[in-house]
Amino acid sequence: MTNGRVLEATELKKSFGDIHAVRGVTFHIGVGETYGLLGPNGAGKTTSISMVSGLLQRDGGEVLLDGQSMTTTTLAPKQEIGLVPQDLAIYPDLTARENLRFFGHLYSMPKAELSKRIDEVLEVVGLSDRANDRSSEYSGGMKRRLNIGIGLLHRPKLLVLDEPTVGVDPQSRNAILESVEHLSSEGMAVLYTTHYMEEAERLCDRVGIIDQGEIKAEGTRRELIELIGQRDRIRITATGVNDATLADLRGLGGVDNVSPTDGSLDMLVSDAGAALPEAMRVLAAHGSGVSSVTVEEPDLEAVFLHLTGKALRD
Amino acid sequence: MRHAWTIAKNDLALRARDRSIFIIGLAAPLALAFIFNLVFGAGISDVGETITFDVGVANLDGGPIGEAFAGVLDSIASGGLLNVTVFDSADAARTAADEGDVGASFILPAGLSDSILGGADATIEVVGNIDAPTTTQVASSIADQFGLGVRTANLSVATAMATGVLSPQDAIAAAGETGTAPAAIEIGTVEAATRQIDSATYFVAGLSIFFLFFIAGMAVTSMLEERREGTLMRLLAAPINRKSITFGKSIASVLIGLVSMTVLVVTSTLIMGAEWGAPIGVALLVAGAVLAVVALMTFAGAFAKTAEQAGNLQSIVAVTMGMLGGTFFPITQEGFLGKLSLMTPNAWFMRGLGELAGGGISAALPAFFVLVGIAAVAGTIGLYITGKMLKP
Ligand SMILES: Nc1ncnc2c1ncn2[C@@H]1O[C@H](COP(=O)(O)OP(=O)(O)O)[C@@H](O)[C@H]1O
Ligand SMILES: [Mg+2]
Repeated sequence: MTNGRVLEATELKKSFGDIHAVRGVTFHIGVGETYGLLGPNGAGKTTSISMVSGLLQRDGGEVLLDGQSMTTTTLAPKQEIGLVPQDLAIYPDLTARENLRFFGHLYSMPKAELSKRIDEVLEVVGLSDRANDRSSEYSGGMKRRLNIGIGLLHRPKLLVLDEPTVGVDPQSRNAILESVEHLSSEGMAVLYTTHYMEEAERLCDRVGIIDQGEIKAEGTRRELIELIGQRDRIRITATGVNDATLADLRGLGGVDNVSPTDGSLDMLVSDAGAALPEAMRVLAAHGSGVSSVTVEEPDLEAVFLHLTGKALRD
Repeated sequence: MRHAWTIAKNDLALRARDRSIFIIGLAAPLALAFIFNLVFGAGISDVGETITFDVGVANLDGGPIGEAFAGVLDSIASGGLLNVTVFDSADAARTAADEGDVGASFILPAGLSDSILGGADATIEVVGNIDAPTTTQVASSIADQFGLGVRTANLSVATAMATGVLSPQDAIAAAGETGTAPAAIEIGTVEAATRQIDSATYFVAGLSIFFLFFIAGMAVTSMLEERREGTLMRLLAAPINRKSITFGKSIASVLIGLVSMTVLVVTSTLIMGAEWGAPIGVALLVAGAVLAVVALMTFAGAFAKTAEQAGNLQSIVAVTMGMLGGTFFPITQEGFLGKLSLMTPNAWFMRGLGELAGGGISAALPAFFVLVGIAAVAGTIGLYITGKMLKP
């Protein structure tokens, strides 16, 4: 083990033809730490973790897992990592138990230990009562939970979860977040990618904000929010906003950033009290109908807006 | 390679679970073999009057068995199915078959009846023209049925046969009552290039290897399905050698191929009376054919991007090989088509079985080695290409 770090990814690079998907990504994860990669679709999250997991050959950089260099063909570091792919990766014709057993064999788990561990994992992901049903009969959320269960079966030093809550109902989503918190509390290091700011804030000890293949900033929630200084975030729901309206808003004093998300505007300002009346005046002048206004403390979403000039979700 | 075995077992479990393996591997070929056997095999008279086969006969026997046989030929001929030319000598009958004046000739040697009735073995020879394999099979089948009748009939019914009153079918029925078989007529079917196996076996064998293509194709299609389902990603992330993935899937296909071919050989022998030949020779040929077909299908599927594409490519290869290799209709060994035919495992499998029927295990070895050769070449290239498929 190197200085308490489970993972050290340095200067990762990957291109697909002309697309520079990842351009020099560097981060590390300590023992028991949960690290988040927060970024919009296409930011390079999946590509980065595919290199970390030895699925994808990198064009440049280094991945050290527990001090061992990870490549697509080295087997020892792969034993230390548990991957939960973004898209479901389970055999629908097999039961949860059979799915787990098969992958347990691939990780060379001894028979007796495997059976015990399968029961444990089924408990953790809440599938104990449905363990012997074919997974094709599961709900979307149950399939996702099985998908996660397979990843943590062999007690990896690092669990890698790629957007595990995309497309699941709120209840299952909460169950997933809880099990990640549980695993983390048991000391498993977690690499968690998401484009949901709330998830990153809730789960992660440290977050890397990734966009266009680069990590724009990194740190604890506190550290990241301090990056944007003393600022307020104003969210205005309005109709009839066009490019001219946006240009005028951006021209106002004390306004850092304006970003339209469907039906609403996110503004990052140094003082909400001063900026809000001005903004309302501009909207009125352009004939926009304002239906709601909220002023919030900055969050990671605001940090993202500050760093990239655009909203996290589109 | 322990992981290859784990993957193979998982593949087998998955295919057993969706039941496709039982249908495509066992039920379909058996059902089809039954149908073909009905049309071309036992129920010759059902074929109808539109087809006429030209056969010759040289009856040198002059005894009751010879007369009975002539009676059988006459009755089939009067149904319009056969056009019978009578020759005076064995040589004349052979020459006529060789030169294609008739599709096949029966030669009943002198003293046939005496031998049979005396309890000794004797042979009705069928000489087939190389370009008239269907006629040859029909002729073999007639001789076969007749032989079966005499073989299973007791001496007491042989008298009845001599009068021509008793058909071979009746003789078989009678044999059921009387039981024992005192003497046997062997049906020796001799052809210039290859010996023929009987028609039931021919069609079961041909269909078996044809269906083997579809079973074997699963190695690649299952890989592509795993990619679609996302599970391939997990296999690649697991601490296992990537070769064990391709290898494991090939093992599964080979095992399934071996099992279903074995079941086909056994059931067709028991139910349809197919005569595959010496078990060790058949086992060798089956093993060679399974390896060759799995390798070819891996090769063919390796060019596909999706499971559907692979399935289509493989169907094309399977049907082409089946046609060229003589699964649907026999192919002569000469000419361009004959040469192409020799590039198919189907042809070598059938040829091997033919040789086995005529010449014993050592005669089947060349076909076995050719099959293994096809497997080695196609398999090496196929595994190389599918290996690349695993490169992300
Ligand atoms: N196999 C691939 N071939 C071509 N382009 C790819 C491939 N994988 C990803 N990309 C591109 O790389 C960029 C980053 O993708 P990805 O890592 O999947 O982003 P994220 O997971 O953050 O949504 C995107 O522009 C995507 O279109
Ligand atoms: Mg992604």
